Amino acid sequence: MGSASIRIMAGALLAAGWAGSAMAQNATEVRIVLPEQPANLEPCGTIITNVGQILSRNVVEPLTVIDAASGQPKPSLATEWKQTDPNTWTLKLREGVKFQDGAPFNAEAVKFSIERMTGGKLTCSNIAKFGDAKLTVKAIDDLTVEIKSDKPQPILPTLLSVVMIVSPNTPVDKAVNDPVGTGPFKLSSFTPQTVVIDAFDGYWGKKPAITKASYVWRPESSIRAAMVETGEADLTPSIAAQDASNPETDFAYLNSETTAIRIDAGFAPLDDVRIRKALNLAIDWEGLGQLFGADAKRASQMSVPGINGHDDKLEPWPYDAEKARALIAEAKAAGVPVDTEIELIGRNGIYPNGAEAMEAMMAMWQDVGLNVKLTMLDVNDWLRFLQKPFPEGRGPNLLQMMHDNNKGDAAFTIPIFYTSNGSYSTVSDPALDKQVAEAMASTGEARTANFKAIFDKVRNDVVTDIPMFHMIGYTRVGKRLDWKPDITTNSEIPLANIGLKN
Amino acid sequence: MMLGYIGRRAYHSILSVIGLLTLVFFLTRLTGDPSALYLPLDSSVEAREAFARLNGLDQPLYVQFFQYLRDLLSFDFGESLRQHRSAIDVALEAFPQTLKLAVVAMTLSILLAILVGALAAARPGSLFDRIAGLVSLAGASTPDFWIAIVGILVFAVGLGLLPTSGTGSILHWIMPVFVLMLRPFGLLVQVVRGTMISALASPYIKTAHAKGMKRRKIIFGHALRNSLLPVVTVAGDLTTGLINGAVVVETIFGWPGIGKLMIDSIIQRDFAVVQSTILVTAIAIFIVNIAIDLLYVGLDPRIRY
Amino acid sequence: MTDLTLPSRKSPGNLRQLAIYLSRDKLALVAALFLALLLLCVLLGPLLVGEQAAKLGLRQRNLPPFSVQQGWLYVLGADTLGRPILARLIVGAQKTLTIAAAAVLCSMIVGGTLGLIAGYSERWYSHVIQRLADVIMSFPSLLLALIVLYTLGPSMLNLIIVLAITRMPIFIRTARAEVLELRERMFVSAARSMGASSTRILLRHIAPLALPTLVTIAAIDFATVILTESALSFLGLGIQPPDFTWGAMVANGRGYLATAWWIAFWPGLAILLTTLSLNILSSWARTVADPQQRWRLQSLRKTAR
Repeated sequence: MGSASIRIMAGALLAAGWAGSAMAQNATEVRIVLPEQPANLEPCGTIITNVGQILSRNVVEPLTVIDAASGQPKPSLATEWKQTDPNTWTLKLREGVKFQDGAPFNAEAVKFSIERMTGGKLTCSNIAKFGDAKLTVKAIDDLTVEIKSDKPQPILPTLLSVVMIVSPNTPVDKAVNDPVGTGPFKLSSFTPQTVVIDAFDGYWGKKPAITKASYVWRPESSIRAAMVETGEADLTPSIAAQDASNPETDFAYLNSETTAIRIDAGFAPLDDVRIRKALNLAIDWEGLGQLFGADAKRASQMSVPGINGHDDKLEPWPYDAEKARALIAEAKAAGVPVDTEIELIGRNGIYPNGAEAMEAMMAMWQDVGLNVKLTMLDVNDWLRFLQKPFPEGRGPNLLQMMHDNNKGDAAFTIPIFYTSNGSYSTVSDPALDKQVAEAMASTGEARTANFKAIFDKVRNDVVTDIPMFHMIGYTRVGKRLDWKPDITTNSEIPLANIGLKN
Repeated sequence: MMLGYIGRRAYHSILSVIGLLTLVFFLTRLTGDPSALYLPLDSSVEAREAFARLNGLDQPLYVQFFQYLRDLLSFDFGESLRQHRSAIDVALEAFPQTLKLAVVAMTLSILLAILVGALAAARPGSLFDRIAGLVSLAGASTPDFWIAIVGILVFAVGLGLLPTSGTGSILHWIMPVFVLMLRPFGLLVQVVRGTMISALASPYIKTAHAKGMKRRKIIFGHALRNSLLPVVTVAGDLTTGLINGAVVVETIFGWPGIGKLMIDSIIQRDFAVVQSTILVTAIAIFIVNIAIDLLYVGLDPRIRY
Repeated sequence: MTDLTLPSRKSPGNLRQLAIYLSRDKLALVAALFLALLLLCVLLGPLLVGEQAAKLGLRQRNLPPFSVQQGWLYVLGADTLGRPILARLIVGAQKTLTIAAAAVLCSMIVGGTLGLIAGYSERWYSHVIQRLADVIMSFPSLLLALIVLYTLGPSMLNLIIVLAITRMPIFIRTARAEVLELRERMFVSAARSMGASSTRILLRHIAPLALPTLVTIAAIDFATVILTESALSFLGLGIQPPDFTWGAMVANGRGYLATAWWIAFWPGLAILLTTLSLNILSSWARTVADPQQRWRLQSLRKTAR
């Protein structure tokens, strides 16, 4: 019995082991471990982090790319562009580019890709960046296209960085899991365990040092960090601050995210600006900062430094519990019902230590005498509170949120938060609406100054949010790789930029 | 007689599966509209309406339900919102991964539990009995995700003996199987030990003793045979519970099984996949239950259906 | 599960007998003492250290254990927000055990009653109850819990309801099996022939005899429920902050296992010790109740003299 059962066990284990495939790794192959499984590989969804980190600039390429340092658009598949009138842009395309299926890249392919995006026959996430603009594309000649919009588009070249160009053989009416683009890598396989991409020989640019990359996914940050440490993987983005313990391999970089609490100013006592200021003053920012890692930068506005319109001179709210108490007392004396229960709505898993941060903030607000109660919600429930139309029957509430603007311009922040019809906005102020509309239509230095003025006004007079921190991303890069993450790492990991050490 | 029994069980099972699917259909629909999850945060109301129309979510609930039933009859299980492909394919692809894990874990649990339980029962109250009892119970009493993460930190990071996670070589199996085994093993040891002690005290074993049979033969040959019945019962119930463990194990070790798939699809409100995974799991569990009943007949000639 | 009859509580002699058996089994004694200590924490904990358990100390985040510089409450270290872990363990005991006790009690009462009815009656609702048990059984409880919690939101009450429902089938089945056996016994037929109503027979004659078995199952289930609750916390569906249980504490600390192991270790240990104690006590109770095994405790007493 004893030896027989051991034989059975050994047999079972062996048979089981052979069922998997052994992963042999050679020197120019890399393994990347992501936090989440990509739901699909539709090139029109590259603004979704886990799709973008695999596809963007690896398999499919956009017309322009955003330079991480300056925030300005740089040539990619489009080599130069010109605004011919406020609603029209003309683009020159790169010569000698081929798709991975052999189809030539030309003006028709660009027209096809943009029309596929805007056609409405498939769910296209990237199109959201264009708002409700209607685009018409015309092929002027083989390598020139003209893009017309129904309203002025001063930053169209920036927007074109989300337009991923796909082969004209891609179906227009359904999302795909086998994208074909012009990038340096082509998709080899996509299974529930892994995505594998291989170097594409016909690539137009410089040959990347890496010849093959496989992507796997694990939700636990500590396990991902351990995988790079043990050499099972070469790179993992977005590890938690506490796992970034090795200065040799772990890089901290300001990503484009800003965390904040939105104040719903529509309900007493939050309709009183003194209470809203008190909320900002009551937080021990230095103590709270410990949850976000030593490098997180205290925020005074909703866009990160480097974004056009960010005001470096704007001071964040300080910690002053005494002043907060005084403001509350003042409001109470003026008849504001300061004892009303205020609901603090958090979202599970919004960022590392997000629930702890909410617990801490709740305790701090209670400490200055505000009746704040925390409710943690799942993403879908939380979304109801984030976007209009807001749920019926809500009371005074504070909402945990994180805003990501990596597109170089405050136009992707200000209107949605501070105009009457902005989808996250709890403000309705015609004067502010007008100010925003003017800023949006302006260009150059005036645009920068106008956006700054709005951020100042929001910080000092409107106070409908509590900016917390400009977030830090931590990425662990194995010793084999020669690469540093930057502000774009949250949306793309271009393998062509990664060198190999010997 | 036997066929009639299987037929009756199958009929009951089908009723139960239909009940389950109905329940799940409405429960999942109550968890909210998925469109907000699939569209970018700043998309327009029109875009959301278009999404709902595209995926048939704009219809009244009962219309959606009848549509679902009609599709079921033609073996159309709907399309995954996340993966843009047939939901049942997604579920069937993940299922064998969990099945393999469960079969290995359960087989090892049963064999080891019989061995340890029988040895413990041979000398009740001995040091081995006490230690085996305590260790197996402690294993069954620990949160599995905790053991899993500690295991990775110790064996993969600290000692470098095993891979952290994933699938592939035989080494990848060790930790997931071990974690999954803890609970069934711990409970089965108790069951085997208890029934063996009763069996060893029964008159016919005493007779065997008196006849001068070898102790080992008595324990593993006669007493064990008699205690297999309750082991089969408990093991059957534990198999269902194993899927609970599999959810946690698959999440931590990145095992692409049906538990992980189920969690992801519930979080992502991918209704068609939730329903398909439930269908597949429920059918598998019914098959296990029927198999156990048949095993009873094999083990105990007194039972007839 | 063997049909066991625990000594009646009414007679002090038997109670003393029980205490003597308990003192003979050192392990069971320790387990009983540990559970008594927990009960004290549940009753007095929030009064004594409730305030300290909620007090932020961001300057002493992840304070290591075994130092009393900050006060004895910090002897087990501090959590991610610098709150004393010992205080939180004491306060967390209340929610952890309340949830488990309420869930088990509900499922025992409801499941037991349904099982009694299903076993005694042969009307249509008996079949409905059995199919209901099948439906719940045929589905991994964790996943059912996930769907229901997503639908209803993870409040404490909902958590109790979900856990109670998922544990119900075992009580339904056991109660039914007991009744099937008991109702053929002499005293039931006697009561029936004397004109007693079905309700009366069920409540006065059958239920008291089925109860001990159900109670034993409840003790093991209690442990299972605590573990299930912690797994739900791991998946993000357990009790939500600012409320917390031990399971939630382990889940929150899991990200720090590599850097500050104590955050997840102590609550994990608390869960382990509690479920282990329950398991040890229930297996001790089986020994006491089983005449074939009781001799071990009796003979121990003899040799001790």
